[in-house]
Amino acid sequence: MSDVLLSVRDMVVDFPTRHGLLRAVDHVSFDLSRGEVLGLVGESGAGKSITGAAIIGLIEPPGHISGGTVHLDGSRIDNLGMEEMRRIRGKRVGMVFQDPLTSLNPLYTIAKQLIQTIRTHLDLTEKQARARAIGLLEEVGIPAADKRIDDYPHQFSGGMRQRVVIALALCAGPELIIADEPTTALDVSVQSQIIDVLKRMCAEHGTAVILITHDMGVIAEAADRVAVLYSGRIAEIGPVREVIKQAKHPYTKGLMRSIPTLTQTNDRLTQIPGTMPRITDRPEGCAFAPRCGHVMDICRSQQPATRSVGNCEVACHLETEGGAS
Amino acid sequence: MSDNLLEIKDLSRIFDISKPWLNRLIEREDRRLLRAVNDVSLNIKRGETFALVGESGSGKSTIAKMIVGLLAASSGEIRFDGVNLAEQSPTAMRNIRRRYQMIFQDPFASLNPRWRVRDIIAEPLRKFGMGDMEGNSQKRVDELLELVGLSAKDGSKFPHEFSGGQRQRIAIARVLSSKPEFIVCDEPTSALDVSVQAQILNLMRDLQDDFGLTYLFISHDLSVVRHMANRIGVLYLGRLVEVSDSKEMFRNPRHPYTQMLLEAVPDLHMTGRTRVKAAGEIPNPITPPSGCTFHPRCPLADAHCKANIPPVVESNLGAVACFKAT
Repeated sequence: MSDVLLSVRDMVVDFPTRHGLLRAVDHVSFDLSRGEVLGLVGESGAGKSITGAAIIGLIEPPGHISGGTVHLDGSRIDNLGMEEMRRIRGKRVGMVFQDPLTSLNPLYTIAKQLIQTIRTHLDLTEKQARARAIGLLEEVGIPAADKRIDDYPHQFSGGMRQRVVIALALCAGPELIIADEPTTALDVSVQSQIIDVLKRMCAEHGTAVILITHDMGVIAEAADRVAVLYSGRIAEIGPVREVIKQAKHPYTKGLMRSIPTLTQTNDRLTQIPGTMPRITDRPEGCAFAPRCGHVMDICRSQQPATRSVGNCEVACHLETEGGAS
Repeated sequence: MSDNLLEIKDLSRIFDISKPWLNRLIEREDRRLLRAVNDVSLNIKRGETFALVGESGSGKSTIAKMIVGLLAASSGEIRFDGVNLAEQSPTAMRNIRRRYQMIFQDPFASLNPRWRVRDIIAEPLRKFGMGDMEGNSQKRVDELLELVGLSAKDGSKFPHEFSGGQRQRIAIARVLSSKPEFIVCDEPTSALDVSVQAQILNLMRDLQDDFGLTYLFISHDLSVVRHMANRIGVLYLGRLVEVSDSKEMFRNPRHPYTQMLLEAVPDLHMTGRTRVKAAGEIPNPITPPSGCTFHPRCPLADAHCKANIPPVVESNLGAVACFKAT
């Protein structure tokens, strides 16, 4: 058995529209080891959520994966039928979404939702499933779990609801959890608690996580490795510490400098001029070229290939040219 | 002329969230009141950026809306440039209202989608009778567009043709068109991506330097607040728990809640600083805890805190409402 749990190779996601084919995800490749937390970070429209959804076959038609492969634990899952995919979702791959109120059914108690999910995937009696559900709720830090399990979602606060959603994702003991902006709807003091729960649960259960967020702070706190997405492509991927401290791609560099921090003292933030190109009018060549301070002629005509630099992989002509500038 | 541009004294806002009269009668229920803002007093000096921070439900936006007159205060007074806003005649209010403006959080909701950008920006000019001649206001709109980093020819476009950051620039241009002195900014960058956020924050600081603006800056993001503000007020469940100089607050937070908020900010540069983890969540404001409303989450709380509401104590370090603060 290899160490790699999830392997995504050259994945392409297209959305056919009246105005032609829109490529939301463009040849994205990465590997995820067991128990590892991989952050997917990027601005809105960078393709991070679509990447997450594509892995578990949740792309809304007419969108579809039109290229590349996804392997989960060695077996290919991107070409499975609806029914087979449904069996993987929830059992082997759990999901946590941004808004905990919309991912829980307001008409059923937490108990009902947890027990139903557990019994769908595991062969347990009602009683055993209930005991497992209470155990999970205790693990994610819900006080008096044996009583609160019979409450409805609206009786929980935002942070508590997100804990319930995490418990729900862990129900069947999945190997992978895809968490799409799990803390964005929460306040900062609650956010740090939820990140802790997610990290602790995954460490204890040996679950790998794909953490999708726009917040570099969350990545720095929670992830082992990070992939920076820009306009549907991975600009840079590598260990968190290296990407944050010694970013190589000009976009990552600019991004890190443009975030105000508690420690920095200078008056002006470094800003990246312009905005990410819309999906409908991506430039030829490198998508970041129009905003890049180190742009060369080749950047405007040719898309940069991904190169290994140390422990990171970077898609930038500056690296291919051996740092020519 | 006083040093303070805006003075708020004992401001409160109570929302009545009771059931209808008949239901109350049948179900024998009392009225239910939500105290969104509770006896808040603060002063904002000319030319400074005063930030209000707090979690959702702490009353930040309610205060902003009361200041600009979108919500009436339940009690307390708001003085702008020494004038009590509640006592002004409608005509006098018109003149005063020109001098303060507001930037909203969501640039997708705050611009009329059916209006051209030019008309959006010129609306305050028309309202306050500042652009009497057509050509005159046209020139001013063009100037404003260039000022916020757009081009004059963008004036004939519609809001949907712009990205989030550009729309926020349009909102800023609209605010500036009536030449205000004071701008209330309610989470102006929360809906924007980080790389765009930096552009807008820089623009706001440049405009402040150029026009001597005073900002009330509302945000939940402490890193942004630290970057923008001279002074900071921390709100918790509708009460001001600490006010102090920005630098001082980040160096030496005095209220346990402020300390908790600072601890919760992610360690972006992975300095490995040791952190005490935040506990609990903001309670339901309909049934707030007794005494100091922070006591269920506070590591220092004792019986005294549970029974008594701590008064705001002013000192040369700032103001803090905590029995345990030193």
